[in-house]
Amino acid sequence: MRLKRIAAVAERIALGFRRDRRSLALLIVAPLLVLSLVGAVWGGAAQTIPNITFAADRFGVPPAVASRLIDALTRSDAIHAKSGTFDDGMRELRDGTTDGVVWLDGATVHIEIEGSDPLRSGTVAGGVQKALGEAVVTLGQAAAGAGIAAPKVVIDQLYGAPDYTLLDYLAPVLVAFFAFFFIFILSAVSFLRERTGGTLERLMATPLGRGELVIGYLAGFSFFALIQAIVIVAFTVFVLNVRYRGNLATIFLVEAIMVVGAVSIGLLVSAAARNELQAVQFVPVILLPQVFLSGLLIPVSQLPDWLRPLSAILPLTYANEALKAVMIKGAEVSDPLVLRDIGVLALFGILMAAGAIASIRREVA
Amino acid sequence: MNSAAAPAVLATGVTKRFGAVEALAGLDVAVRTGEIYGLLGPNGSGKTTFIRCVAGLVRPDAGTLTVLGRAPRDVVAAGRIGYMTQAPALYGDLSVAENLEFFARLEGMTNAKERIETVLRMVDLLDRRRSIVSTLSGGMRTRTSLAATLLHEPDLLLLDEPTVGVDPVLRQEFWAHFRALAAKGVTILVSSHVMDEASRCDRLGLVRAGRVLAEGTASELVARSGTRDLESAFLALAGATA
Repeated sequence: MRLKRIAAVAERIALGFRRDRRSLALLIVAPLLVLSLVGAVWGGAAQTIPNITFAADRFGVPPAVASRLIDALTRSDAIHAKSGTFDDGMRELRDGTTDGVVWLDGATVHIEIEGSDPLRSGTVAGGVQKALGEAVVTLGQAAAGAGIAAPKVVIDQLYGAPDYTLLDYLAPVLVAFFAFFFIFILSAVSFLRERTGGTLERLMATPLGRGELVIGYLAGFSFFALIQAIVIVAFTVFVLNVRYRGNLATIFLVEAIMVVGAVSIGLLVSAAARNELQAVQFVPVILLPQVFLSGLLIPVSQLPDWLRPLSAILPLTYANEALKAVMIKGAEVSDPLVLRDIGVLALFGILMAAGAIASIRREVA
Repeated sequence: MNSAAAPAVLATGVTKRFGAVEALAGLDVAVRTGEIYGLLGPNGSGKTTFIRCVAGLVRPDAGTLTVLGRAPRDVVAAGRIGYMTQAPALYGDLSVAENLEFFARLEGMTNAKERIETVLRMVDLLDRRRSIVSTLSGGMRTRTSLAATLLHEPDLLLLDEPTVGVDPVLRQEFWAHFRALAAKGVTILVSSHVMDEASRCDRLGLVRAGRVLAEGTASELVARSGTRDLESAFLALAGATA
């Protein structure tokens, strides 16, 4: 194993990239573009505020009491509330101008929702519940004036803050995903060109060893992955104002180790593909399971039992877990969870790199 | 030429099968040190597979193969082989000089700068050293490929149809280089299906269906077959042994 030969391969990749401005732009600009879009969509209010109609004619209490209750409910920020009749409310629910109609039946609160969109349904139920809680407090304060103690609810968070947007929580997993996605594609296509362009055969007729070639590739692409990570993290923190607590060096360490696996999978895929079109067709096979099963969209703990073992073998699962711990919870590199994740990512990288080396052997004897 | 020395390439009963295709079917050849040995045969006869075996890229299924007295991979690892592939194997996004610098580093060369200039002058590309390879003509790419092959002054040159797509003037120049290198003791194993090129070799092996059918100098082969030229000789010998 000669360091000079490894460096020659890494520098060759860097030289090629310097000329291939489009790939370089893809690596840097594309993630920023997508992140800006994600920031615009998820970076504002975490939830939409539902429109609620309170059916005053079905509150089953004297009009004066209903009026005070509805008045208290309309003060809540959780919903856009208005008073009306049950029939008006139902009509509005059908034509889409209101999201829910609320009435009382003794001690039971009824919420009629449109129901065709589960996400929207969830915000209605949550909003009404929150508004009712606030109304009870408001009415309680009025009662307090009369010498009755009112309950007060204070919610404290271990991590994050009430004003964290969805983007604050998603930024760590997006950082990992983009690094994996782009580096995987670029390394797969780049190595495929070595195989199909005849340069791999030419390289194997020099003293360059297969291990040196793969390590050179890992070094070359890790360099660009790190630049990409620096740009993405800087962009999310300074432009999109995503809040993070952890150490930047730890974030980059997790990224760098994850990228070893991403490059190696790219090299492996290049052995299975005959042309660049086929290599790109591997993208959904390699990446989509990780989008759904690595905690990027759905927390791993909420996955069906039979899918969890699959989640446990995906590198992004560990990268996501580690980056969330570092960026949201402020965990250090010495944190047992972060250490375990880094260890699993490193093991994955070593296994994939060994596979990549073996894939070269099969081809050129 | 030193015919008394151990052969630079010695193959005995070399076989190689790729699935249902038998690429080499007991190939025997002995290439002497410092000679230009031509493998002459039609497409698919096993010439490239044999050259890849010598370059340590393909492991024979059976038979023995020694290169410069050692196993092929060991000789490649020692940087003693120069392999010019059929299609120029270069990085299109690098310049001519950058390609050569890269291959020089892989061969562990220390005095690369001077040597790069020398080989570029040899293939008449010194003034194009900064050109990006993807912008070069086919002939220039072939010349760059030859320069990369000669860079580290290998003891054994493996040239797989080196002048395919090369104009007659350039072909003449290439052969002048090959002849000069052989005179310095470099052994050259060259594959071809062009008769004009084959006639320039010291000795020829007529290859068909993964075997050497006949061996000798061009004039010996013509005389043995009782024909007038090499092409007719090849056809006659191939037909006689088929």
